[in-house]
Amino acid sequence: MENVIELQHVHKSFDGFQLNNLSMTIKKGFVTGFIGGNGAGKSTTIKLMMNLLQPDRGTISIFGLNYKDHEKEIKQRIGFVFDENIFYENVTLAEMKKIIKPAYVNWDDNLFHYYVKTFELPLNKKIKSFSKGMMMKASLTIALSHHAELIIMDEPTSGLDPSFRRELLDILHNLMQDGEKTIFFSTHLTTDLDRIADYITFIHKGKHIFTKEIYQIEEEYAIVKGGIELLDKDTEREFISIRKSNHGFEALTANKTRAENIFGGMALIEKPTLEDIMFYTKKGEEHYV
Amino acid sequence: MFNLIRKDIVLHKKTLMILLPILLVYLLLGTSSIWVGIVFCIAIIMGVFSSDEKSTIHILLNSLPYTRKQIVSSKYIGVFLFTFIVVFTIFIGNLMIHREIIPWEDLLFIFGIVMVLTALAFPFSYKFKSQYLLVASLVLFAIYMIIVNLFIKNLNDRIREFVQALLNLQSHQLYLSIGFSVIALYVCSWLLSIRIYKNKVF
Repeated sequence: MENVIELQHVHKSFDGFQLNNLSMTIKKGFVTGFIGGNGAGKSTTIKLMMNLLQPDRGTISIFGLNYKDHEKEIKQRIGFVFDENIFYENVTLAEMKKIIKPAYVNWDDNLFHYYVKTFELPLNKKIKSFSKGMMMKASLTIALSHHAELIIMDEPTSGLDPSFRRELLDILHNLMQDGEKTIFFSTHLTTDLDRIADYITFIHKGKHIFTKEIYQIEEEYAIVKGGIELLDKDTEREFISIRKSNHGFEALTANKTRAENIFGGMALIEKPTLEDIMFYTKKGEEHYV
Repeated sequence: MFNLIRKDIVLHKKTLMILLPILLVYLLLGTSSIWVGIVFCIAIIMGVFSSDEKSTIHILLNSLPYTRKQIVSSKYIGVFLFTFIVVFTIFIGNLMIHREIIPWEDLLFIFGIVMVLTALAFPFSYKFKSQYLLVASLVLFAIYMIIVNLFIKNLNDRIREFVQALLNLQSHQLYLSIGFSVIALYVCSWLLSIRIYKNKVF
């Protein structure tokens, strides 16, 4: 399978934050959800992918090309959506289009007007008067109007009402039909991902924890619930982290089959949500530091 | 890259529409066309520059298929375009209002001063922000006033005389060497700005 994005051994450090030896790949033709807590490095990673930041060390390649020699070529093929308004505020959407259109070789006016109509966007109203939802629709319209092969979005669903979030996910789903496009988006609303993502990439504190297919996560990870008497030095080692209470314990394992063998009928084994995985991974990390 | 310059024109069309007639009013009042020309050029150029200074706009421009080199260069080339627009308006305005043709030395002088000023202002603004430019120029102005008041009382007159003398000089060699120095300064500033902008984090 072809990789659209490849990060290899990427290091980037700022004051009080660093990405450490981050390596990850994003597959062509799929939707990859990018999760991690606040400050995990999601936005930094996305900025590195867009060449808004350069890595201190390591290589980044998009469509198999590097930014040093092929910057414009790569950006021609990317559509981007950020969670804040990155457009000029005092212009209308029609003027914004006029500004952006000449930058893209493959700009398609029909497509642009199709989305403007679908999203019911006003062409002649100043962008600063747009609501958060309209802003997102406008960004998306611009991102989708030049036949981009890769759509990168930073928190596109944050601040949107539930009904529009569903609408957005449907639009993204429709985009994926031809199998040529790739979508990479970060979110902390993990419920969005169950609906649309094929892969999940999880980072924590600047480190890549995993990239897995969504069904694979269900097969490998499990939440184990049981009485506290089941825990001892050996069994505790099976878990990424454990939450103990007076009534018993709840813990996350990355090896469901093994957990099933060990605890058998004595404990309850449940399917974890992505939130569970994020929560326990974070907890586990704190425990071992 | 010319798309980036076109973008600046689209964004500032309205400002230009307002400023250029005002420029004509000044000419009508008989204000020194060199002085008015320089002030208008700098006002327009820095206005255009500051509208791209928000970090979100940097993110936009850098996410579009442009390189950082092009983004900086578009501003440096834009200076010529906007200066040309102002100079052209002055030229036409003078022709219509006063029925006289402005000497080409005056027009070149406007170009030269605008180039020198932007060559100083752009790298400073890329490094810090253009809003600090006002502070910096106020500091410079204070220093200038102190010099005028304490040391060289007739500095203003001397500068005026110097400019007049310069414009009346017929020595082409001198013009040429001043011209080359201005261009050299401009090119150095251009390269410096590209360097500063390459390392910028938004």
